[in-house]
Amino acid sequence: MIRLDFETPLARFPLRIEADLRAPVTAVMGPSGAGKTSLLDAIAGLRSVASGRIAIDDDVLVDTAAGRRLPPQHRRVGYVPQDAGLFPHLTVRENVLFGARGASNEVGHAIDVLEIGSLGARYPASLSGGEKQRVALARALATRPRLLLLDEPLAALDVSLRDRIVPYLLRVRDEWATPMLYVTHNVGEALALAGEVLLLESGRVEAQGAPLALLATPGLSREARAGIENLLAGEIESHDAEGGVTRVRLAGGLVVSVSIAAERPVGSAVTVAIRAEDVLVATEPVRGLSARNVYEAVVRGIERGPGDAAVRCAIRPELPEWLARLTPAAVADLGLATGSRVWLAVKSHSVRVTSAPPARAGRGADVGTGGS
Amino acid sequence: MPTREEWAVVLFTLRVAALGTAMILPFGVAAAALLARRHGPGRTLLDTLFSLPLVLPPTAVGVVLLDAFARVSPLGRALAAAGIQIAFDWKGVVIATSVMSFPLLVRSALTAFEEVDPRLVGLARTLGCGPMQAFFRVTLPLAWRGVLAGTVLAFARALGEFGATVMLAGNIPGRTQTLALAIFHEAQLGHDDRARVLAGVTAVLAFAALWSAEIVGRARARRTA
Amino acid sequence: MPDTGFAMSWTRRLFAAAALGMAFSASASAADVTVFAAASLADALSAIGKGFESTSGHHVVFNFGASSDLARQVRAGAPADVFFSADQAQMDVVTQAGLVRGADRVDVLSNTLVVVVPAKTPRRLQAASEIASFDRLALADPQAVPAGVYAKKYLESIGLWSRLADRIVPTLNVRGALAAVESENVPAAIVYRTDAAISSRVSVAFEVPRAAGPAIMYVMAPLARASAAARLFAAELTSTRAARVYEKYGFIVLARK
Repeated sequence: MIRLDFETPLARFPLRIEADLRAPVTAVMGPSGAGKTSLLDAIAGLRSVASGRIAIDDDVLVDTAAGRRLPPQHRRVGYVPQDAGLFPHLTVRENVLFGARGASNEVGHAIDVLEIGSLGARYPASLSGGEKQRVALARALATRPRLLLLDEPLAALDVSLRDRIVPYLLRVRDEWATPMLYVTHNVGEALALAGEVLLLESGRVEAQGAPLALLATPGLSREARAGIENLLAGEIESHDAEGGVTRVRLAGGLVVSVSIAAERPVGSAVTVAIRAEDVLVATEPVRGLSARNVYEAVVRGIERGPGDAAVRCAIRPELPEWLARLTPAAVADLGLATGSRVWLAVKSHSVRVTSAPPARAGRGADVGTGGS
Repeated sequence: MPTREEWAVVLFTLRVAALGTAMILPFGVAAAALLARRHGPGRTLLDTLFSLPLVLPPTAVGVVLLDAFARVSPLGRALAAAGIQIAFDWKGVVIATSVMSFPLLVRSALTAFEEVDPRLVGLARTLGCGPMQAFFRVTLPLAWRGVLAGTVLAFARALGEFGATVMLAGNIPGRTQTLALAIFHEAQLGHDDRARVLAGVTAVLAFAALWSAEIVGRARARRTA
Repeated sequence: MPDTGFAMSWTRRLFAAAALGMAFSASASAADVTVFAAASLADALSAIGKGFESTSGHHVVFNFGASSDLARQVRAGAPADVFFSADQAQMDVVTQAGLVRGADRVDVLSNTLVVVVPAKTPRRLQAASEIASFDRLALADPQAVPAGVYAKKYLESIGLWSRLADRIVPTLNVRGALAAVESENVPAAIVYRTDAAISSRVSVAFEVPRAAGPAIMYVMAPLARASAAARLFAAELTSTRAARVYEKYGFIVLARK
């Protein structure tokens, strides 16, 4: 558990954080300039703390009352910055091994999981954005940190690249027991990875709680909410060239029809993404609708925000919930409530397919990641 | 064309400039590293002190050096006891030229260190480096071209030093006479043609030194772009 | 073309020239006399100059330095009115350049050479050959400065020059050699007796007998273009009043021809 209770002045306002973080991954969110990066810097020891206490489990990193300020090199906190921050004068291998005490199983494992083994002799300048981030991750993991700090690691990447990295982050979360503090603007990323969200505003904790619950928080902008997608793992089942449709079999036997993607071989693993606002909700069985994908579901919950509503639906109890974004007017007109029986409809054109590797065998992808 | 004695003067000048520059290299780098870490009034004071020889008249620096190394001074006494001669000796030339070119090295190195992304240094810290380690593993390797350019600049300055040198080391032909001093001497004697030849050689050397500094600096700019 | 305007402008010019001329002669009553003189003469000449200023109302400006350096400057056009050299060679340089008339030259003074050591460590040489015992010897640049040329001539005459040649520390002028010993940076120097006399920080280790030493001759001359005031000062420099000052400082006053 990470216990934060400190204050330190920033340029425009003081950073005053009081929070206990228990989840394996905590997303730190908030508008630009709210102090998110400064929070990470304070925990890493790159920014001095004026007064207060920072502790990870039993290890006290900072306790100004006791005069204790552990220097950064002793904190064992891994840091992955926005632009990867790779050392340009070192090869990938040298970067990864920089803080490690020689090559070890741990380092090898990180290289394998992040699939950067083939990049060893190359220099950072020749890597793509996604490769750089994976190397940066491996470098941080190689030091066996007890906490990982990630500062908007996907912000500099384009959408398709982000889709490919999130599964690696999921792997890191699941393979290592290391807690993560993940700064992001993107609600979808937070939903995909985090067990808890810390919302910052002007240097203070505005709200703290489960990601989905925070969707209803007035503090969250419409723009932030726009990025939510439903992410599902599946396999190419068949192609129908004349019909212009490719069928993807999802976990639990669900089949999704997507626009023809004949270049993807049958049987290849894919991730399917459906934006929450592309999910239509009907209270009666759908007939005569062009949508190729119609599923019966039960409403599990409705989160309301100013002028916005998110409806969580379960198609099968054991499968991840789908999120549909509706206007409050629609929710009212349809008389939706928890337990309502609904039919969800999605056009095949609204479904995006990417060839990201699955998070881990047997585990379905969570709701999340996206961004427009 | 220079005579054999004049070539000897050229060689002597190159040697003392090289020796002096090599001597101040570790100190200059350390001074720049120290300055790069500090901010505020402490740094301004140090920065000003290190830059003084750049702005002071070389003869003023010469007077200070003479006093510092005079037989009657504590330093002078210690050196005399050890049998080391500084004034009117080639060692005096090395010291005078080093002191005058020191600020150029410090300033160039400082700029180079400050150009290194501080976030990279911070990351090195989180990866287990103490401040010194981070300096040697990240800052210095990334700044070496700037340091090199500063070194060449300091060397060029040392080649042309006159005021402080003539005061501390005197103008002894064959012993302490550098190119700059030789030019003055020849002019004093009315040998203007020799003075011009020597001035020409000095110009060629200075040109070559500055050209190299420029090339090294240019390569650095390209690399970080 | 009417000439009136042109003629009038000419008249105006003549008038202006006359006025200027009068202004100059008016200032002749309080002129600047610029004297370039050997460094060893600094103290004596300053005293003579002060006396001259109070009696004549003219202002004397001195430039003391190595006679060789001064001769070079005069030849290059420096605004000297009077040149007082420590040897004939440098006066010849200026004469040959046509800046001094032979008839204006006067041999004024002589001097003797001494070997000095720091006053803190006095020493008396028993013989001239002991000069070779010093590991370094400061001289005014023996290649051109009179004091150094004289010293080299002397050392050659006693056969010590070849041994001492690479132990010489040449200075800009004779006072520089003196200062080198005063600061104890060099163990000994050969300077004029008159220089040793004005310094309390050196002591004489050996006096070169006049007969054994080179013939030292200080030559003075006003420059050909010198003003009346300058010639007045040049005359003053050879007066009995001045002779008393020279003797006080230890110079040997030559009999007037």
